[in-house]
Amino acid sequence: MFRFQSLDEDCTLEKEEGLVEEEDEIDQFNDDTFGDGAIDDDWQEEHKRLAELEERKNDGLGGLGLGGLGMGGMGGGDSSTVQLPPPASRVPHPSSLPPPHHSLSSMPPPGLEEGGGGDLAESLAMLILGADPAIASVGGPAGSGDRSTGLPPPPSMPQQHHHPSQLPSHHQLTPSGLPPGPLHPSLLSYQQHQHLLRRGGAPMQQMNSHNIWENNMGFGPVSVTPGLITQMEDSPLMSIIKEVGLPNRPPPVMSEDGRDFSERAPPPRSSSPVIGSPPVRAVPIGTPPKQPMSHAMNHQQQIHHPTTVHVRAPVHHQHRYPPSFPERISPNTLLNMANSPLCRPPFPAGVGPVLSQIQRAQMLNSQVAGFPRGCQGPPLLPGGGGFRPFFGQPPPHRMGPHHNHVPCPIIRHNTTHLHPQHRRMLTQRMQSRGGERGGRVGDWRSRDPYSNLMTQREKEWVAKIQMMQLQSTDPYLDDYYYQNYFEKMEKRQERDRDGVRKEHTTKLITPQVAKLEHTYRPVQFAGSLGKLTVSSVNNPRKMIDTVVTSRTDDEEKREKQVWNKRRQILYTVEKMYSLLLEVQDFEKRFMQTPEEQRETLLEQHKTHTLQLYASLKEKEWDDRVSDEQCLLIMSVRKGKRLISRLIPFLPPLQAATVVMGIARNLHALAKKDKQDQALCWLVEPVAVVISSLSSAALTDLLQELQGSEGQLSKVLQNKFGVTLLYLILSEGERMQSSDLNCQLMDDNRWTELVFSVTRELLNVPPSSLSPPLFTPPNLLSLFSRYVDRQRLELLQEKLQISALSR
Amino acid sequence: MNYMPGTASLIDDIDKKHLVLLRDGRTLIGFLRSIDQFANLVFHQTVERIHVGKKFGDIPRGIFIVRGENVVLLGEIDVDKLCDNVLQQVSIEEILEEQRLQQQAKQKTEKAKVTALKDRGLSIPKADNLDEY
Repeated sequence: MFRFQSLDEDCTLEKEEGLVEEEDEIDQFNDDTFGDGAIDDDWQEEHKRLAELEERKNDGLGGLGLGGLGMGGMGGGDSSTVQLPPPASRVPHPSSLPPPHHSLSSMPPPGLEEGGGGDLAESLAMLILGADPAIASVGGPAGSGDRSTGLPPPPSMPQQHHHPSQLPSHHQLTPSGLPPGPLHPSLLSYQQHQHLLRRGGAPMQQMNSHNIWENNMGFGPVSVTPGLITQMEDSPLMSIIKEVGLPNRPPPVMSEDGRDFSERAPPPRSSSPVIGSPPVRAVPIGTPPKQPMSHAMNHQQQIHHPTTVHVRAPVHHQHRYPPSFPERISPNTLLNMANSPLCRPPFPAGVGPVLSQIQRAQMLNSQVAGFPRGCQGPPLLPGGGGFRPFFGQPPPHRMGPHHNHVPCPIIRHNTTHLHPQHRRMLTQRMQSRGGERGGRVGDWRSRDPYSNLMTQREKEWVAKIQMMQLQSTDPYLDDYYYQNYFEKMEKRQERDRDGVRKEHTTKLITPQVAKLEHTYRPVQFAGSLGKLTVSSVNNPRKMIDTVVTSRTDDEEKREKQVWNKRRQILYTVEKMYSLLLEVQDFEKRFMQTPEEQRETLLEQHKTHTLQLYASLKEKEWDDRVSDEQCLLIMSVRKGKRLISRLIPFLPPLQAATVVMGIARNLHALAKKDKQDQALCWLVEPVAVVISSLSSAALTDLLQELQGSEGQLSKVLQNKFGVTLLYLILSEGERMQSSDLNCQLMDDNRWTELVFSVTRELLNVPPSSLSPPLFTPPNLLSLFSRYVDRQRLELLQEKLQISALSR
Repeated sequence: MNYMPGTASLIDDIDKKHLVLLRDGRTLIGFLRSIDQFANLVFHQTVERIHVGKKFGDIPRGIFIVRGENVVLLGEIDVDKLCDNVLQQVSIEEILEEQRLQQQAKQKTEKAKVTALKDRGLSIPKADNLDEY
C-alpha cells in the first residue's frame, strides 16, 4: 500500500506548542524554517506572530474552515504581494486539521464538520473556487468565510480507517517562497477552465501545492469536478484515493527557479558519435520511454502565473509534442469534452503524463469505467513509413486500454511486413473477437487498482523492439515458409472464388524496411590533417584503418599470364638441364660401367642429346632451331647458361644450327640482355662452333646476324653481339688468308656482307658500340681488304684496332 | 489487442494473473504488471506456491521481478475456473515442514543409493547444479 510519505525525518524538529501537531505539517514547517520559506527573523518572534494569528483566526473566523483562511493565506503564498502573514501562519491551522491518521470525525473546525455528511460535490466545488487566491482575496475574509463553510471534508471522511490520506492536509499551504503547484487543468474540465478564464478576474492561480488534493507532483486530486465526483462517488478512483491515498509531495528541494530537481530525469544520454553533440533526437533502442513532459503545464503556468512551477524537468521531445495545450487534444477528445463534460474526467491532454505511475494507472482505470463504451480513443497515428525509435506521436492523452473497446481494428503501420493476407485474416479475427471480449475484460480491469502500470507507450516500446527484430530486407530469405504459406493460401482463395471478389486478389505492396547503413564517418575539420575519431558506445574505436585495394581483373590476368609463362620457361629449362646433366655425366658413368652395359649407356646418351636438341628445334625442320623456343629459353638467364653448356655436347651440325638460331635472334636477345650481359657465356662455345664452320655456313651466319635493316646496330650494342661479329669476321679472314681456295669469295655474299658490316660499323655512333670481349687480331687485315685507307683509319680508331695487332 | 498481429507477445498478458515456473523449480503466482523485451517479468501480489504431494502452501512475497532467462514457463490463470479439489491448501508452516521432510527423505534415499553403489564399486558423479556449465 502506498503510505503517504511519513515525515519522520522531520520529527527532529522541535514541535512548537500549538504549532505543529501533525506530522504532515512538519514538512511545511521544515521548509519554512530552512527552505525558501524561511525568514531570517528570530523564530521565536515568528512563533509569537503565528500564535497570534492563530488566535485571531480562530476567533475571527469562528466556524471558518481552515480552508478559508487557508485559501486566503494561499493567496499570500504567491509571490504577488499579499499582506497576509507568511505562510507559516497557516501552520497553526494544521492544529485544527486532523492528522491523516486521526479519525476524521475529530476534525475540529465545526465549519468543516457540518460538511461532514453533506454534499460532497458542492463542497468540493467550493474548495476549488476557494482555492483560487484571487477569488479569495477578492472575497476578503468574509468571502473566505463563506467559502469555508462550504468547505468539504475530505472525501475520505466517511472512511474513518483511512489513514494515508493527505486530504485533510489541504492546509499545508505553500510557504511564501514556494511556488504553488501548478494549476491543474486537472482540477477543472477544460470548459470550466475556460469559463474561469473568461471571467477575467482571477486567472486561475495555481493551486496551492499543499492543497489537500495535492498529489505527488503537487497537483490536485485526480478528479475534482463536482459533477464527476457525484458520479464517481463510489468509483474506483475514489476507492483508490481512499485506499491508496495521495502520496505526499516529497520535501521539495528548491532551486532558484523553483524546479523540483529531485524528480528530474537524468540528462538525455548522448549517443551520437560526435563530441559533445546534443542528445540524438532519435533515441537509441535501449532507452525506455521517459515520462513525457507536460508542455501544457508549463504553458499554463506561464500564462496564468508568473511564478515558477513545480513540475518535472522537461524532456525534449519537441518533435513529438506540440507545445501548445489545446493542440494536444485530439479532435475526438475535444468533441467529447464539449459534449459531455461531466462524463469526462477533467483531465485534458497534457496532464496525464505528469502524474505518477500509480495515479496514471488509476486514472486510466477510472476512465475505463466512466467512458461510454462507444467513444473511441483517438486512432493511433501511423508510425511513419519506416521505423523510428519511438512510435509516431501517440497522443499522451490516449485514453485507457484501447483493447477494451476497440470496435474497429487498428492497423499499425509498423507491422507492415506482415503478409497482406495475414493482416487481413488477423483484422477479421480481431473484429469478431473484439465485441465479445470487451465487456468482460473492461469490467475486470477497472476493478484492479494496479492495472495499467505499464503505460501504452511502454507497451508499444516493447512491441516495437520485438518487431524490429523481425525487420528484414528480404522476407523470402528470412521467413520463407511464412511467405510461401500465405501465397498458397491466396492462390487457393483465388481459385475458390473464381474471381468473384477481385479486390482480394490485388496485391498489397507492403513497404519493406531497408536496413540502414550506420557507418561511422569520422568528423573532419576543414584544413586539418587527418580525421578526428571519437569513440562512443555505438562506434567503437577503429584500431586499424584498412583500405581495400583491389586490382582490376585485367591487370590480374595479365600478371598471371606473365608469371605463368615464366614459370613454364623455367620448367622447360629445368627439364633440359636435367637432361644436360645426364649427358655431362656420361663420361664419368661410362668409365664406371662395365663393358657390357656400355652399349646401352651409349645409346642412352645419344637419345639424351637428341632429346636436348629436339627440345630446341623446330617442329618440322630438323635443321633449324625454333625461334620461339630459343627466344623463350634464352630470355631467361638460366636458359642462356643452359645453351652455353649445351652446345658443346651437340653434334656439330646441330650445334651450328643452334648458333644460327642465336645469331638470328640476337637482336631480340640483345635487347633483353642489356642489363646483365649473360649472353657472354655463349662466347666460348660459339667461338668453337664458328671455328668449325664451313665458309658457306659462315656466310650464312653473318647474314643471319645482319638480318634485316637495323638489326646489326642493335647487335652491336650488345657485347656479345660485337664479339660474335668479330668472331665471324675473324674467322672469315682466317679462312681467306689461310686457305687460298676458300669459297668465301665465290659468291659476293661475303664481300657484300662485310661491306655492309663495315658501313654499319662506321655509321654506328661510338657510344652505342659496345666493346667486345676480345678483339681478334686479324680484323684489321680483313678490313684493309675491303675498305680504303681513310675508312680503314676511321675503323681503326673506332674499333681501336691497333695496327700492331696485325 | 493487435500489438503485433501474428506474433506471440506478452503484452496481452499484462495485468492478468499468471503462474510462472522458474528454473530453480519455484512456482510463483501473481499479476503480471510489466514486461520487457527480454521477458523480464514484474509480478504483483506474488505468491510462492509450494507443492508437496497433495498439499500446497502459499507464501506471499509481494512484488517480484523475474529475470527473463530464468523462466521455464508462464501461463495465465483463469480466475473464473474452479480451483482443483484435489489439492489441499495448508498453512505456510505446515507446507514448509512438509517440504523439509520431503527433502530429507530424498537425501536419505540418495545417500543410500550412493553407498550401495560404492559398495559395489560404482560411483556415479553427482550432477548437481545442472544449470551451471
